[in-house]
Amino acid sequence: MSTNQLAEKIKYDIPSIEFKEHTLDNGLRIVMSKFGNIPIVALNTTFHTGSKDEDNDKTGMAHLLEHLMFEGSPNVPRGQFDEILTKNGGDSNAYTTRDSTSYFISVPSNHIETAMWLDSDRIYGFGITEESLEIQKDVILEEKLLYVDNSPYGSLEEVSSKKLFGESPYGWSVIGDMDDLRRIRIQDLKEFFEKQYTPGNTVISVVGDIDYDKTLKLLDKYYGSIKSGKDFLKNKFANDEIDSEITEDIYDNVHLEGKFIFYKLPETGTKDYYAMNLLNAVLSDGDSSRFFNEIEYKSGLVNEIDSSVFGMECSSIFNITAIAMKGKSLEEIEEKIDMIIDDVKSGNISDREFSKVRNRLETYFSSKRQSVISIADKFSYLKLFYNDCSRINFEILDYMSLSKSDLTETANKYLNKNQRLVLNYLPNKS
Amino acid sequence: MAISEIKKNAGTKSGILDRSKPPKSGKPKDVNFPKFFETKSSNGITALVIQDKRLPLVTSRFVFKSGAYLDHFMGESKCGLGSLTSEILTKGTESRNASMIAEEIDFLGAGLTSGCSYDATFVSSYSLKKYFDEVFDIMTDVILNPAFHEEELERSSDQRMNSLLSMIDDGDYLADKIFNRHVYWDSPYSYPIEGERASLKNITTGDLRNFYKKVFSPENLIVAFVGDISPDEALQKLENNFSEWNNNYTKADEIILPEFNKTPRVFLTDKKGAVQSSLKIGHLGIKRNNPDFITLSVMNTMLGGYFTSRINKNLREVNGYTYGARSVFSCYRYSGDFSVTTEVKTDITSETNKEILKELNEIKNKFVGKEELQNVKNYISGNFPMQLETPNDIASKAISLKLHGLEDDYYNTYIRKVNEITKEDIKEVAEKYLHTDRLIYSISGKSDDLKDKMQQFGEVEITEDIF
Repeated sequence: MSTNQLAEKIKYDIPSIEFKEHTLDNGLRIVMSKFGNIPIVALNTTFHTGSKDEDNDKTGMAHLLEHLMFEGSPNVPRGQFDEILTKNGGDSNAYTTRDSTSYFISVPSNHIETAMWLDSDRIYGFGITEESLEIQKDVILEEKLLYVDNSPYGSLEEVSSKKLFGESPYGWSVIGDMDDLRRIRIQDLKEFFEKQYTPGNTVISVVGDIDYDKTLKLLDKYYGSIKSGKDFLKNKFANDEIDSEITEDIYDNVHLEGKFIFYKLPETGTKDYYAMNLLNAVLSDGDSSRFFNEIEYKSGLVNEIDSSVFGMECSSIFNITAIAMKGKSLEEIEEKIDMIIDDVKSGNISDREFSKVRNRLETYFSSKRQSVISIADKFSYLKLFYNDCSRINFEILDYMSLSKSDLTETANKYLNKNQRLVLNYLPNKS
Repeated sequence: MAISEIKKNAGTKSGILDRSKPPKSGKPKDVNFPKFFETKSSNGITALVIQDKRLPLVTSRFVFKSGAYLDHFMGESKCGLGSLTSEILTKGTESRNASMIAEEIDFLGAGLTSGCSYDATFVSSYSLKKYFDEVFDIMTDVILNPAFHEEELERSSDQRMNSLLSMIDDGDYLADKIFNRHVYWDSPYSYPIEGERASLKNITTGDLRNFYKKVFSPENLIVAFVGDISPDEALQKLENNFSEWNNNYTKADEIILPEFNKTPRVFLTDKKGAVQSSLKIGHLGIKRNNPDFITLSVMNTMLGGYFTSRINKNLREVNGYTYGARSVFSCYRYSGDFSVTTEVKTDITSETNKEILKELNEIKNKFVGKEELQNVKNYISGNFPMQLETPNDIASKAISLKLHGLEDDYYNTYIRKVNEITKEDIKEVAEKYLHTDRLIYSISGKSDDLKDKMQQFGEVEITEDIF
């Protein structure tokens, strides 16, 4: 960090978060941060393995493995992981994305060694049984019914992934195809586990009421003996651009029509990615934002409107979600959205509007990381995808260094009609 | 499997690590509920200050001690009134319109939110400390001088009608709504906070003003200042902006209590194209300040309150019926309910009901195991500090002490009380508060496929009028 950047940061008065980094002999990367004033520690283990690392005929494998990692390991019998953790006052959960799988545990600081014992054992060896596999397949089938099939607009992720990314590894949803899931056998999982869940492919972050030296010793004790595994080339793929607008109507069990627009963006952490995030704040952050004020409040066309930037390793997505008021037309909503996008593309962002989103960012960066679980998650992310933990304190500068013209340029580069996907959700006819 | 092979190679710098047994834990650290400042303003506002200088942020939380419970007493068919009043409060004052408020708040990088529950109405703001004065002035303006413009009511009602339409696409919402309707039959808690089609059409700006007058008064108000602000600064702000505010329209609540149903009943609500049934099963419970609350919540944690609870273990981990299942006692000021909720495939709805019944009977009829009870005590004690992580977490707890009239040392004695509970206590509250012969089964899904099979659980009725 240069002196200039430091001076720049002081202007924003954002408290820093301290941290230390280390790499174990087997290649496992570690981030530790003493933080907070309650006797709790968060342990986050993130693997650089997501649904994009699956074979296209075994989709859903990464997420299935995530479920099964709670179901027993060489020294922890099935059912005991959560049992032992909770009786020590801990909690745990996990999530899978296209690029990574994260496991997190929070535990009273006097039980941190137990948490590491539990967590390391499931990386150390494969202990999943046939019985667990069949039950967790059923649980995931219900998860899919709950969040996709029985949920309004629930097919969005699956449909948009396919349309945006086609045959590439972002072309299927994280939960995967249920026929693929049924076909996955123990041997498939074991091979995937042995290839992917290796120290070199992993970051562990420990945040909270810790002593750096003791924590590092414990990490070495429990994770240091895990075998390194074979190095393999990460599955990074080139991203095809969309060259003409794709539109599709989808009939669903919904009462209100919905319009969903997707644009592809460059990968997370790039300058354009930050610029789109800032532009997104102009469009949809707060009741005075463009989309909310003009399309929901003034025109009364929508019951809900939002937009967001979803950052990923090989490509990001900017998406706009609009749920129509009964009787209002999706065409009219799309016209309004396009008018606003054309307006920002023409450079029409006022100085006050630009200051506003910068002010909002400052509050956001001051307030967002107050919990040990979310800080640990962020450290693992920064280490894995940017190899730069200092961004926890300095990422605000990636935004604050942008000018209005950066926003306009980015909008002109990516927010073009011929580069987008438009999905219209319409009520089932019956 | 290659496990033994890996084990042989498992050397560390300090020799071979024995992974077969869990390590010993150190001594737990004491956790006390943090002290907070409390006083009364000159005109009777209860003021709390939770000072924490680690972040340059200030939150102010205004909590009025009445909410949507009052809708029922504001005239025929007025449900949704409290919630609309709080929503429209921030949509215009005598000197600022909705767009001006939104623009000023957004520009300061601040947040301003409002809403209501059955028992309370709240307005909150947060911002960086350097903008707190400006934000607090806007907050003061919306609380003291709301305009309740006709066009804002129209806009909000219209939006609300549409939200209701989209909510009926959600099976869990349907099961929840019909459950409340029948468990609390015709008492104030039976009506949805968000309102219904007929009542939303029936609410006028006059009603908003009446609700406002009844609820928004200094005596009825708790204010919590949280973050980088001292008690002196906070009190001075409060006195400066609110000391001349006098409004004595707040009266003691009329109380209408729901009656317990006599026999089990099944209510089916059809959801078009459903591939799962959403279940909400239960009956009346307890009010928040019931002295059995802590024992009951320990019992409920074992039954269905956390991941390794009996109900989740049975339905998810053993049977693979569901992605998740949970039970809860929802407690309000004058009443409450107990419920089990989950989502399962249509054709295993009956089996799921039976398993839930089995678990309820089991915890009523048999003592819980010593180890199981100790585990849940450890879980609750160990997890407690997580609930005190941020100053706003602490403020939420401090506010709930005041809102529900709990003793000042409630959270300081909480862990000790949890640890004193015996298996006899657990059985006693399970017998007293779980009633398997008077359950209400509210199920949304494919009614036609369900109705015959549900007869075994109680008299079946199909809901025709969702609104």
